Amino acid sequence: MANIAKKVSWSSRGDDRGERTPLLNGAEDGKHDRKLSEGAMFHIGRLSTVDLEEEITPEEDIVRSRPKEIPHNEKLLSLKFESLDYDNSENQLFLEEERRMSHMGFRCLEIRRWVICGLIGFLTGLIACMIDIAVEKLAGYKYLAVKENIEKYTELGGLSISLILWAVLNSAFVMVGALAVAFLEPTAAGSGIPQIKCFLNGVKIPRVVRLKTLVIKVFGVICSVAGGLAVGKEGPMIHSGAVVAAGVSQGRSTSLKRDFKIFEYFRRDTEKRDFVSAGAAAGVSAAFGAPVGGVLFSLEEGASFWNQLLTWRIFFASMVSSFTLNFFLSIYHGKLGQLSSPGLINFGRFDSDTVQYNLYEIPLFIIMGALGGVLGALFNVINYWLTIFRIRYVHRPCLQVMEAMLVAAVTATVSFALIYSSNDCQPLGQDNSEEYPLQLFCADGEYNSMATTFFNTPERSVRSLFHNPPGTYNPMTLGVFTLAYFFLAVWTYGLTVSAGVFIPSLLIGAAWGRLFGILLSYIASSQSIWADPGKYALIGAAAQLGGIVRMTLSLTVILIEATGNVTYGFPIMLVLMTAKIVGDYFIEGLYDVHIKLQSVPFLHWDAPPTSHWLTAREVMSSPVTCFNRVEKVGRIVDVLSNTSTNHNGFPVVIHTTENDEPGKICGLILRSQLIVLLKHKVFVERASSRLRQRKLQLKDFRDAYPRFPPIQSIHVSQDERECMMDLTEFMNPTPYTVPQETSLPRVFKLFRALGLRHLVVVDHENRVVGLVTRKDLARYHVGKDGLEELHLAQT
Amino acid sequence: MDVLTKFTFVIACWAVIFISVADCSNDPSEMSGDSARKLPSVVIPVSQASTLGSFYSLSLSSLFPEDLNEYCIELLSIYRQRYVTYANCLVTYARPVKICQNCYTDFNSLEDIYKNISSDHPGPGNVSCHDSLMRSDRLMLLYALFNQLDEIWRSAACKQCLTKEQEALSNDTVYFMATLNQSLSCFEQYQKNHSELCKDCKASYKKLKALYGRMDKNQTLCIDLEDAMNITQQLWSKNFSCLLPREETVPVIAVSSFMLFLPIIFYLSSFLHSEQKKRKLIHPKRAKSSNSLMNIQDKFN
Repeated sequence: MANIAKKVSWSSRGDDRGERTPLLNGAEDGKHDRKLSEGAMFHIGRLSTVDLEEEITPEEDIVRSRPKEIPHNEKLLSLKFESLDYDNSENQLFLEEERRMSHMGFRCLEIRRWVICGLIGFLTGLIACMIDIAVEKLAGYKYLAVKENIEKYTELGGLSISLILWAVLNSAFVMVGALAVAFLEPTAAGSGIPQIKCFLNGVKIPRVVRLKTLVIKVFGVICSVAGGLAVGKEGPMIHSGAVVAAGVSQGRSTSLKRDFKIFEYFRRDTEKRDFVSAGAAAGVSAAFGAPVGGVLFSLEEGASFWNQLLTWRIFFASMVSSFTLNFFLSIYHGKLGQLSSPGLINFGRFDSDTVQYNLYEIPLFIIMGALGGVLGALFNVINYWLTIFRIRYVHRPCLQVMEAMLVAAVTATVSFALIYSSNDCQPLGQDNSEEYPLQLFCADGEYNSMATTFFNTPERSVRSLFHNPPGTYNPMTLGVFTLAYFFLAVWTYGLTVSAGVFIPSLLIGAAWGRLFGILLSYIASSQSIWADPGKYALIGAAAQLGGIVRMTLSLTVILIEATGNVTYGFPIMLVLMTAKIVGDYFIEGLYDVHIKLQSVPFLHWDAPPTSHWLTAREVMSSPVTCFNRVEKVGRIVDVLSNTSTNHNGFPVVIHTTENDEPGKICGLILRSQLIVLLKHKVFVERASSRLRQRKLQLKDFRDAYPRFPPIQSIHVSQDERECMMDLTEFMNPTPYTVPQETSLPRVFKLFRALGLRHLVVVDHENRVVGLVTRKDLARYHVGKDGLEELHLAQT
Repeated sequence: MDVLTKFTFVIACWAVIFISVADCSNDPSEMSGDSARKLPSVVIPVSQASTLGSFYSLSLSSLFPEDLNEYCIELLSIYRQRYVTYANCLVTYARPVKICQNCYTDFNSLEDIYKNISSDHPGPGNVSCHDSLMRSDRLMLLYALFNQLDEIWRSAACKQCLTKEQEALSNDTVYFMATLNQSLSCFEQYQKNHSELCKDCKASYKKLKALYGRMDKNQTLCIDLEDAMNITQQLWSKNFSCLLPREETVPVIAVSSFMLFLPIIFYLSSFLHSEQKKRKLIHPKRAKSSNSLMNIQDKFN
């Protein structure tokens, strides 16, 4: 008992602060005394029934049986998330298969990988094309209806009816989308980029790469964009690409219960990860028309090491996706073969002679970058608090749908009110760049300038902010629009609809960037120098986006590719750099904030900086549930079906005695493997009968992937419980191990670089003393008072 | 060791000196080569100057042996006449724009002569004027001049107001003019009292607008009509200020504020009534070694 009551603080300052005691055990010393007596009694009763866990210390049992409940916050790690098995299990089955496979077989595998990447690109491009067309059609119908209505009632009186019509139409679209997301597949909510980031990091997010998620995602995006929310369809494209990749590479769909019996070799986490990174790249490429940006995105976010051949394949998928989108859109627009619309968002051409920049503008760009960083940080902070509130209070699906509908209605209301009260009238352009010009109270032949920004899909608004000639917007309009749209976008992100944050960020940035440009031309004496505010709109958009998502290399390349202008590379890079530096001073990027709020055990690139004094001994979980090389079936079943310890990897030891002495390690076996073994009843006693049957192959393990049946579904009779199971053939005989004295950063590096799931900690005689998993490492992070530890929680 | 470095140094120095000497020895030969190459180029301007000098003294027409034949000169003068007439017409009817109605005959005749010149079939005397008039110099003046005017004609979209052969105004155009005149005469009637004008001319103005909208959709508008409509619109909205009144601010504000109020209610009620989501903390198994914890403290102290 003594060591629990002992309060330990890792930082010299934080000792006496009650609310932020960083170490787990110290968190509840006040209440502990009261619990002890009843806990001890409970413990006695419990030990007699549950004797399979060798080492239950009394304190831990108390704590486990009486969990403390706290409101959701960012300093938690959820038990729901597991790791992916990137590490190949080199057991005897694997070696056998490799021996059997001819040289030709490996060649074929390589060719199949290329085919899959091509398919991924093609399907992703097709999906992007479908989303684009659907959104354009639906939004077109909606805006036409509202426009006609407004025109009618401007004359007759009764504009409040148009307002209600607009709000109702918006809410209706959003309701359909939100219903689908909230009730059918909550994983499809949001942009999906955080989830894909986690997946590529090695965290298995349940249901994130399923076909059902894809369908709901695509449907949800169409609804929410057509519903006029302050959202974009680019983020979800990345998720969609990833799902397509995961689905195609497996050659089957568990949602449809179809197995095409192809690509069976790729049914492993390692292979799947490679394809998912290709899919994410294809998604980016389709969304922005930026194939190189897509590749860099997957490398920046996902791949933990640079593989030249893999990168080349990812690039191939990206290019195919961009081309496919291009091709089908050209058919849709009736210009077959004219491949000029490479991405979902088309920034339009920035001709280098009209919007060139000068050396003296660089400092201005940097100032804009800093501004973008500050605004981005503000965005993230507000969204952070809002998300916490949502997780704590708005967690029932029907409430979530209602919230989404309300946001849609308010978006329409705010837009309408601003359009209504705006006096900024501009003459209709000759080239009719406005799709739905609203006259309202303007003179005949003029249109309301506020309406071009609000009464439009966000992408079109971005484009008109970039390209409309100087004098199209008046500064007041832009200022009001920026403010209103900023808060709408903050409020919208994190709703239970599938929608991305790229376009709203770009739009906010473009609006204040253009405002900045216009104000500059007011200040400067000669107008001609600061002629084009479109240039500042672009820089502002980059700054705002960089300030919110904090992507670096890939975002620069994406923006360069989307504008089609390489000369802007340098200013865009400077701006993104400044935005990131300034923003990071306040809060992390939006995606990282959301990953944290989801309590995902995410491993960053490096261990926390001041953690060298921590050793594997402090980090690891201990004691470890081990199996003998030849283990009794009953014990295996009991351990696996113990719900309180949902372990996934078990070190196999040469010999464990019943006393405390841990055994020497000889291998590692996974829960999934054990379940397959139990299912096929690979027992020593049945070895003679099994000889007649075929031998268990690696294929049997792959067939069960990725959804292995739960242990409860496997029936083991009483007789069979007494049988023995020989694990030698199936375990990974060479698991990675570290000695107890290894420092945390060293363990971390091993884990991150190799994509490990279990790392066995051994003593000097190679005896298992502990096991390090992802959650053990991810719990350390640098807080305000130095190193802090996250709590494990059930969500 | 020391000797060795000295030795290499000396060698390096020699190398440098040798190279520089070699360079120097190269230079004069290059110079001479250059001057040799320059010589003829100095000569050429002189010869050019001499030809130019003789050029000035001669009269223009007698110089060229391959003179334009009569036929082409005639074409050229017709072209000149028609060009001037058409340009004259354009400028005359530039503001307010009425070029389509008034200049189409001029344009047609200009186009005829241009086509005539540019057509390859030879005239009398078996001469094609196309090459001699149009393509014998870099400026290609006739081509450029016509091209510009044609461009103006096309961007004015005059074709859309004319009949197929560009021989007369189309029926739509005539009808639009009539409707426009109705409105304008109505405007004239109420010149004094703007508020009555807005009321009484509304019908005819609306009819005009509707017609304009229809024609816009059918693509039967040209610059004349667009400009006329533009002026009328400006008269209507700016001069007579027949703008739609912004009367219903109150209901719009009421509905808006109701809508804005809804989320506040929603969040308040979900805050008050919804059960706060709690997370159960799980305590992981850790090495139950008090000495390790002691170690941490030791390390920090």
